[in-house]
Amino acid sequence: MAPRRPRRGDGRVALFFIAPVLLGFAIFYLYPTVRGLWWSFTDYSLLAEPEFVGLDNYADVLADSEFWNSMGVTLQYVVINVGSQTLIALLLAALMHRLTRSVALRTTLLLPWLVPNVTVGLVWLWLLDTNLGFVNRMFDSMGLDKVGFFTDPNLVIPTISLINTWAFVGYTALLFYAGMLQVPQEMFEAAAIDGAGELRTFFRVTLPLLRPILALVLVVSLIGSFQIFDTVAVTTKGGPVNASRVIYYYIYQQAFTFFHMGYAATMAILLVLILGVLTFVQLRLLRASESQLT
Amino acid sequence: MTMTTMPSPVPVDADESTPPAPPASVRTARRRPPIGRIIGWAILAITLVATLFPFYWMVKSALTPAADVIADAGNLWPSHPTVVNFARVLGLLSAEETRAAGGSGASINFALYLWNSIVYCVLIGTFQTLFCAMGGYAFARLRFRGREVLFGILIAALMVPGIFTLLPNFVLVRDLGLLNTVWGMVAPSLLMTPFALFFLRQFFLNIPKDVEEAAMIDGAGKIRIFWRVVLPMAQGPLITIALITVVWAWKDYLWPLLIGRDEAVRTVTVALGVYLQQSPNTQPDWTGLMAASTLSVIPVALLLVFLGRRIVESLNFTGIK
Amino acid sequence: MRMKTALRAAGIATAGLVLAMTAGCSSGSGDGGDVALKYWLWDDAQLPAYQQCADDFAAANPGITVEISQYGWGEYWTNLATQVAAGSAPDVWVDQASYYPQFVADKQIEDLQPYLDADPDAVDFDAYVSGLEDIWVIDGARYGLPKDWDTIGLVIDKQAAADAGIDEASLADLTWNPDDGGTFEEVIAKLTVDKAGHHGDDPAFDKGNVAVYGFLPEWADGSQGQNLWGNLAQSNGFTYSDTNPFGTSFHYDSPKLAETIDWIAGLSDKGYAPAFDQQSTLSRHEVLLSGAGAMTSVGSFNQLMFQDRAADYLFAPLPTGPEGRKSAINGLSDAMYAGSKHKDEAWKWITYLASADCQDVVGATGVIFPAVTSASEASVAARADLGLDASAFTSYTTEPDSTFLIPINYHGTEMAQIVQDAIQSVALGTNDATTALPDANAKVNALFE
Repeated sequence: MAPRRPRRGDGRVALFFIAPVLLGFAIFYLYPTVRGLWWSFTDYSLLAEPEFVGLDNYADVLADSEFWNSMGVTLQYVVINVGSQTLIALLLAALMHRLTRSVALRTTLLLPWLVPNVTVGLVWLWLLDTNLGFVNRMFDSMGLDKVGFFTDPNLVIPTISLINTWAFVGYTALLFYAGMLQVPQEMFEAAAIDGAGELRTFFRVTLPLLRPILALVLVVSLIGSFQIFDTVAVTTKGGPVNASRVIYYYIYQQAFTFFHMGYAATMAILLVLILGVLTFVQLRLLRASESQLT
Repeated sequence: MTMTTMPSPVPVDADESTPPAPPASVRTARRRPPIGRIIGWAILAITLVATLFPFYWMVKSALTPAADVIADAGNLWPSHPTVVNFARVLGLLSAEETRAAGGSGASINFALYLWNSIVYCVLIGTFQTLFCAMGGYAFARLRFRGREVLFGILIAALMVPGIFTLLPNFVLVRDLGLLNTVWGMVAPSLLMTPFALFFLRQFFLNIPKDVEEAAMIDGAGKIRIFWRVVLPMAQGPLITIALITVVWAWKDYLWPLLIGRDEAVRTVTVALGVYLQQSPNTQPDWTGLMAASTLSVIPVALLLVFLGRRIVESLNFTGIK
Repeated sequence: MRMKTALRAAGIATAGLVLAMTAGCSSGSGDGGDVALKYWLWDDAQLPAYQQCADDFAAANPGITVEISQYGWGEYWTNLATQVAAGSAPDVWVDQASYYPQFVADKQIEDLQPYLDADPDAVDFDAYVSGLEDIWVIDGARYGLPKDWDTIGLVIDKQAAADAGIDEASLADLTWNPDDGGTFEEVIAKLTVDKAGHHGDDPAFDKGNVAVYGFLPEWADGSQGQNLWGNLAQSNGFTYSDTNPFGTSFHYDSPKLAETIDWIAGLSDKGYAPAFDQQSTLSRHEVLLSGAGAMTSVGSFNQLMFQDRAADYLFAPLPTGPEGRKSAINGLSDAMYAGSKHKDEAWKWITYLASADCQDVVGATGVIFPAVTSASEASVAARADLGLDASAFTSYTTEPDSTFLIPINYHGTEMAQIVQDAIQSVALGTNDATTALPDANAKVNALFE
């Protein structure tokens, strides 16, 4: 943006315009951030005043096997969810781009994204129930063993990951589809004249030009994915044992079940740091992949 | 850190988003192995079924009487379809009738929760869009000292996961005495979210200045220009961001769960969680839960039916620099 | 100009909403007149009875009304704790022995003793089943008045027992030990049937294709195992802690407990009980009613679940272990919130709940055993009218030393999570009882340092 020569500043008017936003930021973003930082150095139960304990919380969190378990569980979730969601969404976007431009189809694919995660979790909890769920009834009638989707510690995170893939894959596909629309039509024509097939065109033309969008969507889904809470809260509450106790749920438990506010704030800060590093790395990669479209 | 190099989401109008079909010559020249197309259509068909079947199952279960829940678990159609589950979750039946229909004796009033959710969404959608449009306009068009730095700071909040501000904000709302009030629930997102501010500023950066300048020459003040000239021009993005905000608010769970536990202000998502735990005979009341789930889907499904095209188009990103 | 209209319409709609909301926002502020007490409980089955009490109370006390909220057990304590932390807890709530000390420690519940001293005739302690009132007393302060009590028994499918050739009378005198399971395990084996019709004690029994499980264990049982393992472990000589109430050093590392947990987990390995990771959202009782299970443990507070098919089920006391027959006995109380703005009215409501007037109403429904002896007897009679024999649950009161009080201590919420996780990891087979339980015990004891 080239700044124009100011004739005169708009200071007072600007203040009127940005007052609500500034107020919101100061009260609900800045103040809580400072407060949360302070709490991480205190022992605070919500019922008594915070008591300064220095770096104790940080030492305790880093030595807490449950914290690392939560991080591991969350990471497993993120990898399965983001990986499957991105691949399926790419495939769907390509199909919509090359086969049909039907708005009705795109609208339908978006429906799961509009539904609250709580509802999504409930519906799948019901569909996948060991005794009454439709899926296990199907398995049973095919003579297969029943599967404890939410009760087998090895299956619970893959199950929850794929449920959320189901919920978000249509939305992600539409983002990719929109990106594909940006690819100039001539490039497809040129590829067709060169006699390239659909697959080759996809890998040679579509995918490289989609990289910036792909990277952006990946950044957003990764950050979103780390914040999984609703589905776990509704379906498993972190169980069986701690197999699905994702980091958000663990922080929530420490804060609102055990009232270790300081401890919870410390974990939240560590999560922010991890996400910050991830975002930074991804933005660097994003910048590296830019300037394809010129 | 500046975000100007980030690709910016800017909605384009529907008519632009569908590129013209390739010329006929190209279309005939394109070798499309039919087998590939068949597979492609098959994948789309499977996706559609996978997308819609859970919703079908939800509605089917909602229409199943509680007494048949085990018997009908494997059937594609309820043996004795009934709307009694809807009646009881909407709070239309007496406690005795509810228990007879397989519910618990607890009061469940999804009519109220739906209303609460709508209030929550409309308040957040309206005010956040308005305030972020004002802010976005100022950061895009008005000149004042420290503008870029300030904007950078505000946008940095995008990087902060919700859980971090959630804990102190809970305490703040408590200390303000706003727990279990609508205002306490909407407060944190009523004035701004970094995303909406960023989105709208991007839009204002990209609209031509000449209209405003013409109005300025006529001697109109900034505020008047904003109301009379800029906002009408920004109708599309405003509706877009309002829609996205409303959808997000509709899906909100953790914050309303902490702040709005009272039945008077309970939203649909929180109510579903409460209802799942409110298990008569220590297990979920599945038919009632599915009726309530259906109720939580109906408003957004209607939104999709009436505004589907707009929502879909709003997801189009342009302006990749 | 469509935009203008749209904006204006949105503005009007919003204004209307705001007005509607602010209009509907003024509640609970004591405007001199009516006081609306908030009362919480977790058991939906008891709701109608207590609603009746609330209506009677309101009729007898003009100007006071009671609003009851019910939250399921799974979220009750988190919910309550959050509201306490928020300073907006209900005026009165149903309290449980293992959870109330936390509120005492945080000074969130009111000592009722001064109210009693000022109003000595408000409560007739002689009317209660003995021992119940002492649970709520700490250092001369009294944090609740007795409300009800419960014990644990067994429920058996009569038809399944007949098919297995089991004499019904023998079910009242089962024995158990952690090595071979005693006659309890023999009965469980006989009650188990595979899809080919072989019973569990038949060498041809196929544990991979079970049609009816002989026993349905409860694995989500906190740090006390009130519904199953706690009782068996106690009858095997296990004690929870150094002292009760208010133990600070726990014994979850005891081999007596480990072998009990191992025995229960072993039922799944033998095919007599469903595998832990094959559980459904169906409750044990629902699985029993559906015919997929033949026996499970049941609390006296859940007996009424079987009222529609009373003739098909038999209730028996728990088996006798190496140290005798042991059932957890647990009592509930009503607690007053220290931050309540209507303490005098809350006191009235609590004394009404603790009185024979209310407890007779509750007792007449048969849903629980109220603390008032006469109401308890009425409850047993009400169950008999429904064809449910409650003697299995009341038998413990006449046998010496056959009941134990569930632990009362601080840090109840955290302990529940730690111990339950450990026990479930044994049930899942991901950990041994001899490692998981000592680890859990170390964590539990660390809470008290």
